[in-house]
Amino acid sequence: MKARWLDILFLGALLFVLVLLPLLVNNYWLRIATGALMWAGLACSWNMLGGYAGYINFGHSAFFGLGAYVTALMMVDPLGLPFAATIPAGIAVTAACAVIIGAPTLRLRGAYFAIATWAFAEVLIQFATVMEFTGGIGGLSLPPFLNERFFYFAMLMAAALTYLVTWALFEHSRFGLKVKALRDHEPAAEAMGINTSLVKLQTFVLSAVTASVFGAIFAYWVTFINPKSVFGGDITDQMVVMVLLGGLGTLWGPAIGGVALFVVNRLIWMYWGDTAFYIAILGAAIVLVVLFLPNGIAGLFAKRGRGSVSVLGKAVEKLVGAGEGDRK
Amino acid sequence: MDLFLQTLLNGLLIGGVIATFTIAFQLTFGVLHVIDFAVGGWVVLGGYLGYYIVAGLGLDGFVAIPVAFVLFGAIGYLIGPILYNVRNSRTARPELMALALTFGLFTLLRGGMLTAWGFNTRTVATALSGESLMVGPVTVPLIRVAAALFAVMIAGGLFVFLYRTRYGLAIRATAENRHNAALMGVNIRRLSANVYGLYAGITAMAGVLMGAIYSVNPESGLRYTLFAFFVAVLAGLGSVGGAVVAALLLGVVEAYVATYVGSSYSLLAIFATLFLVLLISPRGILRRGL
Repeated sequence: MKARWLDILFLGALLFVLVLLPLLVNNYWLRIATGALMWAGLACSWNMLGGYAGYINFGHSAFFGLGAYVTALMMVDPLGLPFAATIPAGIAVTAACAVIIGAPTLRLRGAYFAIATWAFAEVLIQFATVMEFTGGIGGLSLPPFLNERFFYFAMLMAAALTYLVTWALFEHSRFGLKVKALRDHEPAAEAMGINTSLVKLQTFVLSAVTASVFGAIFAYWVTFINPKSVFGGDITDQMVVMVLLGGLGTLWGPAIGGVALFVVNRLIWMYWGDTAFYIAILGAAIVLVVLFLPNGIAGLFAKRGRGSVSVLGKAVEKLVGAGEGDRK
Repeated sequence: MDLFLQTLLNGLLIGGVIATFTIAFQLTFGVLHVIDFAVGGWVVLGGYLGYYIVAGLGLDGFVAIPVAFVLFGAIGYLIGPILYNVRNSRTARPELMALALTFGLFTLLRGGMLTAWGFNTRTVATALSGESLMVGPVTVPLIRVAAALFAVMIAGGLFVFLYRTRYGLAIRATAENRHNAALMGVNIRRLSANVYGLYAGITAMAGVLMGAIYSVNPESGLRYTLFAFFVAVLAGLGSVGGAVVAALLLGVVEAYVATYVGSSYSLLAIFATLFLVLLISPRGILRRGL
């Protein structure tokens, strides 16, 4: 019970600092904080499928890019819709895409799934590059909105919601237990009466939709996107490294890995002004983590807890509608 | 009609070069049960080795082929056991960890090459560069013919090794059933290291040829990884014989799309086909995959 209060106290303090941050630092650091929040959230979205369900998605940038492109296409000239209207649209498009892509690919195991998702993301890059309406390789420019605080709070809200949903749904609900069961032994989970196809698809869609929301905010924030900047493999690479570094299938691992790596990224950019070296560091980080720290940073502090279902977990489960289909 | 024949021939010649490293890629999967994302990295490194042998030592590009085999064979021989250990470790998901390891290796190679050599494109110069041969109405660049001949030699050598020697038998036995092979006295760990070395060497040789035909830059590794995956998926992972057919098919399809639709569509076409094949027939068109 004591540890629980400490957790809550720590979280409260963290949230307090995060909310007050815009008052404490200048715009430069606020931008960095915004980016760190985005990566922490993106890493968490990748971890939903990669960490909890054990399906390595090498094309997660596809959904980030979809969110970004839907927002951009709706905000530029012929439509000119407000930003708030584009987010539900982005969610709907991404969810539809994720169902269409996920239903067949999630039948594939391990390596085949990784290749299929990777190919899907590359198809989208090539598609966005050769098509006219996406602005081709030149990309799209959005109407600028230069309010750093707005984007900071948007990212903060999105990230906080992502972690809340992950905590409730994957750590403290029956749905989470089902997901972990199918990760650990899919045939056994199936034999226990879990509709694994449905649970996998729900996880995949949730993970995709989360990434698309960050993509939408990102597009509006940077005001300019092109196929490489939002669909690029580097985005997936970073999510994978962040989660591996932080700890696969843990709640706080992606946050730790995401913030740590993003800070490294900024430092390298500040001192070398070149991102090629960062790619090498990413690669070296993956190799070293796999070899020496397979459970990530979070694995160093792991307590052996037992899965339990909380009231909030049940509520979120109901809200998201996850796991309904196979409850008798 | 001339263009049609020309494209067919070009595609087949390129397909032959693709076949060399995809055969080795399939073999590696069969033995190690690891999908190697780094395959494109080895191709590009081979190309750069060729470039530096030409530019630095003033030798012909073809000299680089055996050098690439020895050098990258040795590097692969050192990496092989690491990969084997990760794949057979007691962590929760060794399969995903091994996948992540090769992915990391690929990223490391790409980032390292970008840092060292930048985005510039390099070509391996050979005695045959720029020469071409007229066969009736069809013009064939000699370098492609030579590359395809080399590819046939390498692939032929590999098949002789696999099907006519005792060690080749051990490799095939391991690919078929590693447990039984181990019971027959095959040292799986050492064999895995050797196979990875063989694969890295062959892939780097193919890289020298690719560098002579097209050119290489650090970003082009992605393209060759895609080729290897495409062939693997079409043939079924681990199927060596199917890889030859699938690689030739890939070469021809790419050539036709590039000639008749536009080269910017060729990657789109390949990725889309790869994706569809995975959905329709996950074990490969030939249904011989693992």
